[in-house]
Amino acid sequence: MKNRENIGGSGILLILIILVLLPLVTVLFQVVCPGLELSEFDLGNLALVLDVFKRPLWEKAFINSATLSLATTAIGIILAGLLANLRVNYEFPFGKLLDIVSWILMIIPSFILAQGWVYFASGNGIAKAWLGISGMNDFLFSFPGLVTVMVLCKYPMAYVAIKAALEWYPAELVHAARMNGASPVRAWLDVQFPLCLPTYFSAAMLIFMDTVGDYGMSSTITAVYSFPTLPYTIYSAICSSPVRFDMAGVLSLYLVVMIVIAMILQHYVMGRKRFDYLGNGTMRTMARKPRGLLSAFINVFTGLFCLVALGVPVGSNFIMSFSDSFSIERFEFTLENYKRVLQPDGELIVGIQHSLSLAVIAALIGIVLGFAVAYILTYSDFKLKRFIDTITLIAMAVPGVVLGIGYIFVWNQKWLQPLGLNLYGKPSILVLAAVASAVPLINRVLVGGMAKVPKELLTASQVQGASFVHRIRTILLPLLHNSMVSGVLAAFGGSVFNLAITTILYPPNYSTLPVYISDSYNDLNFGYAAAATIVGGACIVTIMLILEFVLNIGNRKRNEYAANT
Amino acid sequence: MKRSMLCVTALMAAMALSACSQSAAETEAATTAATEAATAAETEAAAETEAAAETEAAEASADGESEAPVQTEPLLVYLNDFDAVIPDMFKEATGYEVEVVVGNGAETMSRIEAESSNPQWDVVWIDSMYDVYNLDLDGQLLTGLEPENASGLTDFAKALVPEDKCFYPTGAHAAGVIVYRTDVYDETTAPRTFEELTDERFKDQVGMADPGVAAPAYPLAAYFMDTMGMEGGQEYFTTMFENGLKVYPKNPQVVQALAGGEISAAIMQESNAYEMVHSGEPVAIVWPEDGAPASTRVAAICAQTDQPEIAKLFVNFLLDPETQQELINLGDEGYFEPSVEGVTMKEDRDPNAKLVAADIVFGAENEGDIKAWFADMSAM
Repeated sequence: MKNRENIGGSGILLILIILVLLPLVTVLFQVVCPGLELSEFDLGNLALVLDVFKRPLWEKAFINSATLSLATTAIGIILAGLLANLRVNYEFPFGKLLDIVSWILMIIPSFILAQGWVYFASGNGIAKAWLGISGMNDFLFSFPGLVTVMVLCKYPMAYVAIKAALEWYPAELVHAARMNGASPVRAWLDVQFPLCLPTYFSAAMLIFMDTVGDYGMSSTITAVYSFPTLPYTIYSAICSSPVRFDMAGVLSLYLVVMIVIAMILQHYVMGRKRFDYLGNGTMRTMARKPRGLLSAFINVFTGLFCLVALGVPVGSNFIMSFSDSFSIERFEFTLENYKRVLQPDGELIVGIQHSLSLAVIAALIGIVLGFAVAYILTYSDFKLKRFIDTITLIAMAVPGVVLGIGYIFVWNQKWLQPLGLNLYGKPSILVLAAVASAVPLINRVLVGGMAKVPKELLTASQVQGASFVHRIRTILLPLLHNSMVSGVLAAFGGSVFNLAITTILYPPNYSTLPVYISDSYNDLNFGYAAAATIVGGACIVTIMLILEFVLNIGNRKRNEYAANT
Repeated sequence: MKRSMLCVTALMAAMALSACSQSAAETEAATTAATEAATAAETEAAAETEAAAETEAAEASADGESEAPVQTEPLLVYLNDFDAVIPDMFKEATGYEVEVVVGNGAETMSRIEAESSNPQWDVVWIDSMYDVYNLDLDGQLLTGLEPENASGLTDFAKALVPEDKCFYPTGAHAAGVIVYRTDVYDETTAPRTFEELTDERFKDQVGMADPGVAAPAYPLAAYFMDTMGMEGGQEYFTTMFENGLKVYPKNPQVVQALAGGEISAAIMQESNAYEMVHSGEPVAIVWPEDGAPASTRVAAICAQTDQPEIAKLFVNFLLDPETQQELINLGDEGYFEPSVEGVTMKEDRDPNAKLVAADIVFGAENEGDIKAWFADMSAM
């Protein structure tokens, strides 16, 4: 058994090394070996690592990234936890809306959301020019404003992960607590919450990694008020001339250090406790209708939340999509942007097709690989599983542009040409990069779900003679249904809008949706870029809703059957 | 267990392969479709194109030069503007295919650098003259280019051609003109010179793009450092920072900030400034009398290209007055000073607009230091 686990674990590790570690190492290695020329090898260059204490920009970027990520994680996890618990335990009118809002926020790249906030809050923006609200400008371009926007942008991943994990609850334990006099709050605090700690930590890590590696928000809001972050500084280093891949390597190393510290902290807090609780005493969580004040609170809170979180940034983009001016102050209604976007032979349609096909392939491969990674992490005794976990988190936090550069180094080798593996300049490299980006997210979602399924369930089945595939198909997949659906949808949506990697890697004549939107924005076609975002986003969201419906058909039937019996 | 893992691995491998083949097939199909569409659309022009190519080849033979080169694959051009039109223009003129990879100057340069062991590009055509010169210093460019149309270069452009003739300017635009909001300042209070922007009345009101990220912003910083001396230039920008200079990643953000009222004055590249005026924003443009720092668009050929002859034809094509005239007539990207004589600039471009540029060697050699200093200052 152990031998099989080792083979499986080694295989997964090898795939992750090729997809994530190798590209990253080629960039990190530039610190001691500039240009990857062995003749240039010099360990003395490691002194660059200490520049964080010398260069004001690096020091500030490091501190800013750390404080911003910690503040966003702390507030984000509370918000996501609150929303997920409300959604799972109560039935309320805005429940489905909350899901849709979270999914939309999760797939839209942060630079578009940040743009929406800028349209809303800038000096002559929607808030001031149309709503007469002043002061939004000062708020947005400040640390609290940035954290607020960041939380609203990054909470969805955690929300989806927590919500998926809360689909089962330890009914027997909760009932026991209640029978011993514990209030519902006390029972939640002392029984349910501690058992869900892996999920919450996993979700917190998701927010932390996504925030610390976020470039879109950094370039749009933080750079404006002199709040440099590591991703922005890395981008500057990569785009400096002569190009300083060594600096990008050092700065990426700081990100890796942050991740390792966060993982050690998580490991220290959770220790070796067990958190699996699924068994005879667990039940599927059934939402109930809230009453009185609680009902009013839930409805008002979630309604307002959806309005602010999605309504402001997407609504602002929506308004701009009907404008041909640069500012809201001079808004003039036009449908011209949509006419151009929807031209049947338009480039945007081709871009959407490319992005969709990439996302489908990435999601399919990603879910298989992500499942395998989560399985190894949760159920195997593979010695290097912590290393696997670290690699997946690194893939999430390291900015896409660094990974993209690493991909060029790895896949643009002359000796790969005769083997047909010189993938740079071909769409296949985008598939690999998209899978590398999708796996960490899928893995996080699935690990949260698997943590509550005891290994004994699988062992018992194995003892009865069930094969590995049979155990997965009949035990794990049904119990992880929601997590699997969440993972697939997150990977699909995220891949469609993956800007950083496609910008640096896209092959000639193979434009993708985010590249197209970004180019339009850089050409000052703000209204057109906004219209392209709305059309592209609407296509993706529609497909995701259909996918969610189709993937949940079996689940709904089971729920209906359970309710009727 | 082992068999299952093998199954999973095999499945993944099959999916990956099918993904690759699907994508490849897709690309092939797309290319075929595009080619077919182009062929259909250009049926009428085809005869002319072929005739033009034949004439060119005949002329070349008559001049004793080699015959027209045969193209085995499209010429791959990395650029940051004119991507929508240049492939068709070149094909129409010469019959040769061009594929483009468009990106901002900084991303394009990092892509080129990362590819250095196995370059994929044939020609780079971007407004990052100092970056391109740095490629030459690394031995990545074909030198000794002698395009026929170089004889028509303007004096300004001639002065920018390096001794080893590794690139040619195809046009230059102002990396920074002064733009101000007319609802905040009138002609008497508006800034007229770069020096004036350090004045107390513009405190927290001025913005510009980050020289470390935006391609056109570096020539701007380099010009000050070159003409004022490094210390003088640093002193100028230090005063600007102390006066609340806001640095945005790229020019589009500067445009948004000025249009949105975040700032009331900016140093901005000219095409963006004119676009703001056209869009009806309440802004006016000031061309400093001493000249505006230029961002020069240059064309260079990769030293390792396997189709140098077609690449040279492309560079020569870019130096053709007719080509530059067509690019100027196109639209907002056409706000630039042509590099060859016989081209008419946009009518609304200031006829007295004067461009100035930092010395190429100074700009290239000090690029890393200037950008690092600027980045550290903006973080303080």
